[in-house]
Amino acid sequence: MKQGLITAVQRFSLNDGPGIRTTIFLKGCSLHCAWCHNPETIRMENELMVHPEKCIGCGHCVDVCPSGAHRRSAGELLFDRRRCIRCGKCAEVCFPGAMEMAGQWRSVDDIMEEVLQDQAYYTDSGGGVTLSGGEVFCQAEFANLLIDACRKEKLHTAVETNLFADFDRISPILEKLDLILFDLKLFDSGLHRKWTGVGNEQIKENIARLDTLNIPLVARTPLIPGVTDSEENIEGIAGLLANLKNLQYYELLNFNPLGDPKYHALGLENPFKNAQTLPAEQVEKLRSIAEKHSIRGKAG
Amino acid sequence: MMIQYINQYPETEEFDYAKRLRLLRERKLAQTAEKVEKEGGLNEDDYGRVVAPDYFKFKIIPNHPDGHFYGYSGWTENYTRLLAEHPLYVDPLDAFVGRGFFFLIRLRGMTGDPSYPYPWNPAYPFDDLKPLFDRYNIICGIGRDHHFNPDIKMGLDLGWGGILRKLEHYRALNPPETYEFYDSEIAVVKAIISFLRRISHQLAELALIERNPVLSRNLKEMADINFRMADGVPQTMREAIQWMCWFSMLSRLYNRGSAGGQLDQLLLPYYENDIRTGRITDEDAKFYLGCLFFNDSRYYQLGGPDINGNDTINPLSYLILEAADAVNIACNLTVRVHDRTDPVFLRKAVGYLFSNKNGWPRFSGDTALVQGFMRCGFPREEAIRRISSGCHWMSIPGKEYTLNDIVKINTARVFEVAWKEMMDSPEQSLEALHNRFLSHLRTAVEATADGIHFHLQHQDQNEPELILNLLSHGPIEKGCDVTKGATYFNLCMDGAALATVADSFAAIEQRIVREKRLTFRELDTFLQSDFAGTEGEYIRQMLQHSERYCQGNSLGDAWAVRISREYSDLVRRQNERYPGLNFIPGWFSWSNTLYFGRHVGATPNGRKAGTAINHGANPHPGFRRDGAVTAMCNSIAAIQPGYGNTAPVQLELDPGTGETPEALDKLVCMVRTLLKTGNTLLNINIIDGEKILKAHENPALYPDLVVRVTGFTAYFSMLSKEFRQLVVDRIINKRSA
Repeated sequence: MKQGLITAVQRFSLNDGPGIRTTIFLKGCSLHCAWCHNPETIRMENELMVHPEKCIGCGHCVDVCPSGAHRRSAGELLFDRRRCIRCGKCAEVCFPGAMEMAGQWRSVDDIMEEVLQDQAYYTDSGGGVTLSGGEVFCQAEFANLLIDACRKEKLHTAVETNLFADFDRISPILEKLDLILFDLKLFDSGLHRKWTGVGNEQIKENIARLDTLNIPLVARTPLIPGVTDSEENIEGIAGLLANLKNLQYYELLNFNPLGDPKYHALGLENPFKNAQTLPAEQVEKLRSIAEKHSIRGKAG
Repeated sequence: MMIQYINQYPETEEFDYAKRLRLLRERKLAQTAEKVEKEGGLNEDDYGRVVAPDYFKFKIIPNHPDGHFYGYSGWTENYTRLLAEHPLYVDPLDAFVGRGFFFLIRLRGMTGDPSYPYPWNPAYPFDDLKPLFDRYNIICGIGRDHHFNPDIKMGLDLGWGGILRKLEHYRALNPPETYEFYDSEIAVVKAIISFLRRISHQLAELALIERNPVLSRNLKEMADINFRMADGVPQTMREAIQWMCWFSMLSRLYNRGSAGGQLDQLLLPYYENDIRTGRITDEDAKFYLGCLFFNDSRYYQLGGPDINGNDTINPLSYLILEAADAVNIACNLTVRVHDRTDPVFLRKAVGYLFSNKNGWPRFSGDTALVQGFMRCGFPREEAIRRISSGCHWMSIPGKEYTLNDIVKINTARVFEVAWKEMMDSPEQSLEALHNRFLSHLRTAVEATADGIHFHLQHQDQNEPELILNLLSHGPIEKGCDVTKGATYFNLCMDGAALATVADSFAAIEQRIVREKRLTFRELDTFLQSDFAGTEGEYIRQMLQHSERYCQGNSLGDAWAVRISREYSDLVRRQNERYPGLNFIPGWFSWSNTLYFGRHVGATPNGRKAGTAINHGANPHPGFRRDGAVTAMCNSIAAIQPGYGNTAPVQLELDPGTGETPEALDKLVCMVRTLLKTGNTLLNINIIDGEKILKAHENPALYPDLVVRVTGFTAYFSMLSKEFRQLVVDRIINKRSA
């Protein structure tokens, strides 16, 4: 049975589309945004997250580690990430939670069993299921199966996507959806390349093509201090969005500083370690700039 | 003697309602601070009670060598004396008088025995029952009082004069053996009427002294109203509320009293009449209601269906919500939600919950409550009258004697007894453990039913319900205490520690039976050492991370459903043992969460010895990584005991959850759905985490911070440190998930 690598199933999700939803986070991303607050979703392969503050010093990880990444030296437990083969054996026995695998391989049936537990809440609130990531289309085949399973149950389905993909490949999946939430982080392609690793030409083109599907759209830009939060950037993006006839609203998502512990857990440097959320007045100002283009702006 | 705030303002000072409510609120907060300072953490409702003035001391008159008083004569003598001496509390800003200082039940004194804290008439010993109560850590309810709902409408229809005449009428019809009852009740009602007349005279004198004309006129109005309410029948909304304030105070003064009823129905005829005749405006009505809330934090229900299923929400319901918003203190308002609940009203109610963050209102689910109660054999007409009346309980005003929220069985202790017995036997298995658990649970439930039956036989000779009898259907007609003369005996028997026990069974099934990571003997060693050492902690974490209750279709969920069904069946079987009594199961533990925890050693769910059991029907904190409300509510819906009593949902939400109109819409849907899917009662706390953590360090910083601790709302600063810690632990756990 086809399985997907999932980092989380978040029930009672209130911010990823209409109504009460379950958001499923798929691992793997086609962009590498420097500020990502979910860095554990970037790589397609599974990886070990280490939370030393939860370690009780029991040493069970040393007993099961086949690669010598975990070892005991002078009474102390040491971990060498370079030797880690990401087999997950240590996480299996680490009940205190100092070691955990960022993702879990799960089948569509397994996920749907959990999703359907909240069916009454979706029905009453007009909610449903949102696929998020990472980038959903890094696991396009699995995402497609999951969307089909949701549609079979008549659930409202949405995806959050960065649209950095071959449109012809993803459009058969997009066409099935009730709502598409997409990101455009930077209007300037050079800056986009600098901060995410790729230019934005394909994304802009896909945004235009997306509108031809006649599916409700929500556009989003994360407000990253010093990167995406300029009036010029929001002005540019809003101007592009103004042409979309299916756009419901444009949401500005304030910087989320909660990713820092995850960078530590993955042994990575967090380039936005000291960044702060933007003041409400600044977000409001950017929102009003967006609304000048006759689109509905929202502060998320 | 009195506490009065006469001549506090210059003659020229002007007042409007908003100003008066603001000043009353400031005074209320100062009084709460004084209570905290003088009485410490109390882990209970606010009750509107004020600290007694230092100069007033009341000394009880014992009628027994043990220093306590019992029975009709003891209670009548002490209560009438207390009334005769009770000082007046009057605030010229207020629309009403009716604040009290005492509960006679507490002035009588406690035993000092934590297992049986309330005195019990030694003429009726129950030493034969105590070994089983002690073995299973049962709170037996013997000698406990109120916790059923009086019919306030009866009081408003009769007035104290009418009640007196009714007593005299039935005394003449009944035989001499009932005279002890009637003579006590008549003496009490006469004392009440005298007390109210004294109060009205004092108010009239104060009106002459008060220099500010607005406040003087208010005192004069209060004097007139109270003179009429001494034995008359309320005609106006202000008179009706004044009557309710006094009933509230008089029943609290006796034994802490009981609930208020469906407020938007009780007051509706008076409100409509006053509006129709132009006597008051909506602003007047809101001011009166605000003053009512300052007077007492009594439980009131709003809304619900009528017999035809139509919604009873009306313009007064809206005013009540607006008044509660204006005073914004600890209010115990419950909105009854059903299929046809006015959506605008529901949204407004949820909106206030988020904007005020004071734990009110809460929400009860009509469908499950009515269907459950009907399973006990009651018609729908009675089931819809069974309204929200206490922390977690429902009651038909004036018709039921219930012992609601009093009788508790610590099922974690039952589990512990079963575990120890199994470990001393030759066979250790999950099935053997479950069989022993069931066997002990049966013994515990039967012992509890025996205790309740014993209580009903003798409580009138211990502590007759001299105040609540007056607004009950049966006692006055039959000439006996409500414990013998109620219309229905629907006796609440709550289990506690469902999650602790279900998670323990689940952990054993997963770690010992399925995964074979551990043996029964090894687990027993770890339990006995309270998970000592690093390996002990490792095992504890392993157990704690087993499939838990409220994760959603987990092993813990399956065990919780099974245990709840088995418990309900055992409780219902007691009806066969005691014909005429209807035992109703529920899951609720109130502040017993701490008490019960102290009486249980380490448990296989990874809980350390002496720490709290789970709260009510809630899971232990950290049950799911995402803390999903929907998962929790589905699981709690699945374990409902199913006979009209509750297993409440206690939620803590961040203030940000409902900060936009769209988010609020979603939360309204959440409330509606979770009640539609089988849940019975929902308490929501909007927790501002930072504020709570700071208030825990220094409660004096936030004297107005109110939390819905469990079934009741309370000032955070009024809670004991240990109880505050429970709230704080939940926040910390949520943050680290």
